[in-house]
Amino acid sequence: MTDVIVILGWIGLYAPMVLGAIGSVIGCTVAGQAAIGAMLDTESGYGRYIGVAAMPSSQVIFGIVVMFTLNRNVTAEVAPGIFAIGVLSGLALLFSAIYQGQCCASAIHASKAKPEIFGLSIVPAAIVEGFSVFAFIFALVLSAGI
Amino acid sequence: MINDRFKYAMLLSSLPLHPANLFAAKQLPVSRIQLDKRLAWLDADDARHLEQIEMLVHWSKISDQPDDLLFKHARTELDAIDSAFLKEIVLWRLELRTLMSALRRRHSGETSAPTPAFRGFGKWPALIIRHWQEKDFGIGHLQPWLPKASDLIEQNKTYELEKMLLNRVWQHYSRIGCYHYFDFPAVVIYVLRWDIINRWSSYNKEQGLARFDELVSAGLADVSMTG
Repeated sequence: MTDVIVILGWIGLYAPMVLGAIGSVIGCTVAGQAAIGAMLDTESGYGRYIGVAAMPSSQVIFGIVVMFTLNRNVTAEVAPGIFAIGVLSGLALLFSAIYQGQCCASAIHASKAKPEIFGLSIVPAAIVEGFSVFAFIFALVLSAGI
Repeated sequence: MINDRFKYAMLLSSLPLHPANLFAAKQLPVSRIQLDKRLAWLDADDARHLEQIEMLVHWSKISDQPDDLLFKHARTELDAIDSAFLKEIVLWRLELRTLMSALRRRHSGETSAPTPAFRGFGKWPALIIRHWQEKDFGIGHLQPWLPKASDLIEQNKTYELEKMLLNRVWQHYSRIGCYHYFDFPAVVIYVLRWDIINRWSSYNKEQGLARFDELVSAGLADVSMTG
């Protein structure tokens, strides 16, 4: 039983990074495809399309930081805490990256036709980013108590 | 893992948006050649479905066959469409055609419902037969545009009628497209709306007159050369 708990601890340690990476992959792919499409239809503003498309990459960075914060000697005493914080923060990063990518794709599509709304169009993506920052910060705070 | 709702993000982002008002469009947002290049990014299955839908909806793609064969072919093609949403898009258009067909046949002098049974799509054919003599076939409360269409046909105002019908289709596609941004139905709606703009722009009065003048000039030139 102790071995299983320790294994769960290792899963929890790696989870925020790998789940954040999966989310960033999907989010950046969706937003990136929209950016490439928009570049085919416009004559300028390419840089900002790519910039917006890269927004969902922040989740993997958060995941790496949480992973290093959780990194310690994995024992049966600390493994449940590592598992809970790692997996749950990882899931939050995964979903926030996916949905942020969808927000970014919509922002690119909208601002392509109406460049003057570019700033406002990325607000939903920024709000989603805010939620992932919550998950990230409180994962750091709680990890100190394990 | 990418959701089907975002399957065609690149394709649709690469296409210019349609104008909100059909009649404000002075030219096509994108040429058919460019559109076909983008549509080449569709999956094989989706490309086939799009072709099926265009075959059913556009006059230019409908072959010159007797009504019975056309009806049978359309029914088969309609049944082959998997998606309920896409089937509904096509059926709505065919229902509109069914109603217009009935109005035009009645205007052409058919005083009673055609026999054998009036052929058509959707839920209206039985009601059309039953209420053949009524101006709106007894469904004016469900299709409030019908009396106006009937009046325009009676007054031979074909231009106004065509404009009204195209606008009705345009607005319908716009409404049902509200919840589809990057998925396959969004592609289908984009192409169907493109076809409407294409049709409307081909009706352009100035272009028509210019073309007419060209033809007359060409004809007169031939006459003077042979004379």
